[in-house]
Amino acid sequence: MRYLKTSEAAALLNVSPNTLRAWERRFGFPRPQRSPGRHRLYTHGEIAALRDALLDGLSISSAVSRAREGLGADTNALVGALNAFDAGRADAALEGALALRSLDRAVQEVLLTALDEVARRHGTDSVQWAFAARWGNSWLRRAQRLVTPSVRAITVVLGDASRDDLDIDAAYIRALELLLARSGASVLGLSVRGVSNMSEALAAHRPDAVVIAGGALADDAVARWAYAVRLATGALPVAVYRRGSQRQRVRTTGAGLLPSTPGEAARHLMELASHSVSNPTTSRTTPPRLLADGA
Amino acid sequence: MSSPDRRAMLRLVPSTAEDHCPSQWFCGHCGAPPPNNETPAPPARVCGECGLGLLLEARADAVPRPSDPFLIVDGSLSVCALSAEAERLLAVAETDVINRPVTELVTPADAEAAGPESLAAAIMWAARGEDEPRRVMVRPANVFGVRMPLRVGACGPPRAALLVLE
Repeated sequence: MRYLKTSEAAALLNVSPNTLRAWERRFGFPRPQRSPGRHRLYTHGEIAALRDALLDGLSISSAVSRAREGLGADTNALVGALNAFDAGRADAALEGALALRSLDRAVQEVLLTALDEVARRHGTDSVQWAFAARWGNSWLRRAQRLVTPSVRAITVVLGDASRDDLDIDAAYIRALELLLARSGASVLGLSVRGVSNMSEALAAHRPDAVVIAGGALADDAVARWAYAVRLATGALPVAVYRRGSQRQRVRTTGAGLLPSTPGEAARHLMELASHSVSNPTTSRTTPPRLLADGA
Repeated sequence: MSSPDRRAMLRLVPSTAEDHCPSQWFCGHCGAPPPNNETPAPPARVCGECGLGLLLEARADAVPRPSDPFLIVDGSLSVCALSAEAERLLAVAETDVINRPVTELVTPADAEAAGPESLAAAIMWAARGEDEPRRVMVRPANVFGVRMPLRVGACGPPRAALLVLE
């Protein structure tokens, strides 16, 4: 993946850096990532697609629209491969997406979008969804194994409250784990079904934050797991990660609701855990307020 | 020998060559011309004035003034660009109407739309490169009792119709 600084991207498009920032505000494209120093980093694929579209374009808007369509082709290719039960072609489609985007964006904009599309078209009781969900979860687990081990002293315990791999939230939870690991956290993923001997697991990992992800299991089961974690570690910042209609039925005392996109949720959770590490006495009793969607 | 009055008459006929009409570049968003009216290089057509439009070329008598509301429409009658003034006049954002049919923004004012001077025909002619400007009467879609003269000319590259609300 090749990244361009603002000046490099602007030079490639024959515009000023201010114009590029004006396009980001008006059209939401090209959409840069941020470097650790908060500088804009543009993916070469997006800039090249926009440059080609501008050559034949009648307006910036139509060029942006064409460049977006070109990038959206990866999602369509992945949906087509999943509908055809072709795992090899699905792998290749995602590889193609990774040539134009960072892994974080490829996961959120292509993989999860394609899975949502398969579920929407065929329903979550279809064989297409069974294949797509299995492939998606497997791909995300493989990607997580390739993440460079954490260098930051932050550990997050993730309580997985999804039903199984066919749960529509399962891939989002895998994506959250992956993006947390890529942010530098050490993630201990546990199913909330397992409660006994919790202290043994947490003594080895000494978590800084806890997140309960998914909403397929009964509240009682989730509460038992959270109680076991609290008994083993003492009070920790707790966050809840839920999507869609499940967000409406979150009843928590002191736990923050994370945004529904995995990237944003990972960022907020890292802030929460960092706060816990830097203020061990205050944060364990009064966690900072989390921003949910639209807040 | 023939007498001079029986010699074949030679008459001057109008030339079949096209009249030369100067062309001019303008920004497809703010309508401003490029600095010194220079022809921009193909990969550098972004307007230096507003940064939100591409520079396009049209006959000088069809080019809008910066204060004119105008649209750029392609041969499939889809909206490709909307000037800042047109956004204000029609109360829409350019990003919301790109690739939408032009009739969602302006429709022929029926009494004036008969025959080959209809809006669709005028746009098709212009988008095919017929650069003689035509005039039709239109009204904003879903608005009645308002009629606006519309000048339709050719512009590009690539070829498209330039619709200026007068």
